Amino acid sequence: MSFKKRLTDTVADIGLNKNIGTFSFWAHRLSGIGLAIYLLLHTYVLSSAISGPEAFTMRMSEVQNPLFAVFELLLLAGVFFHMLNGLRIAAADFFGWSRSHKALFWLAVLLFVFLMTLAVVLQLPKFNIDNYSAGG
Amino acid sequence: MTDKASGQGTLGWFLQRISGIFLAFFLITHLNVHHLFHDITTSGLINFGSVQENLSSSFWWQVFYFLFVPFVVFHALNGIWAIIADYRPSGNAAIFLRAIFWIVGLVLIVIGAMTLINLFGGGV
Repeated sequence: MSFKKRLTDTVADIGLNKNIGTFSFWAHRLSGIGLAIYLLLHTYVLSSAISGPEAFTMRMSEVQNPLFAVFELLLLAGVFFHMLNGLRIAAADFFGWSRSHKALFWLAVLLFVFLMTLAVVLQLPKFNIDNYSAGG
Repeated sequence: MTDKASGQGTLGWFLQRISGIFLAFFLITHLNVHHLFHDITTSGLINFGSVQENLSSSFWWQVFYFLFVPFVVFHALNGIWAIIADYRPSGNAAIFLRAIFWIVGLVLIVIGAMTLINLFGGGV
């Protein structure tokens, strides 16, 4: 079977199996791909430290503003979902909890909402441009 | 089902879960310190000095981050590999891609380690 055929079959499969398992499977994959891309960007930004303190401080100042605060919130959403769903997968695999996977999914959703609420509250100062000049 | 050349082996499946559980712990700690509880109204923007001060506060941050980097690189690349393996690349493509992934992974770990050495104040 060709690579292209497998991809189109995959898309068709999502339409045929509209359930929690299909959703979490694809949300896990897509968030995982997103986080892998972020890991490359994170490495690029932080590796400026190899060029010295000034280069690092300059590049860090470029990624600290209200726009990047929004990106950071997206990042946290990706991390929290992938982390909670990943722990659910590990629990189902290692403890044989696969029969409870739907209940575990809703538990993960509950914890996700809690963590995101906490993140939004803690990130609030980062959405105000005035806070960036004051602290230095 | 799981041939060595193109499939995702049992070892890859197992290590993805083990590294994932470690990363859950690593990331909660890392996010708390550097993302969530960094209040810019009191601590100001993150810069070289602030990061160095943060990391030198305990010897354990060195242990923490030098473990964190290989774990996260492995988990990311093994995860992407698992997705590719699901679409059954041909034998030669699989061997080529695996070689690329190993090179990318090792390069990322070296860059990460050099970054850490600089941030911990050693200098390269």
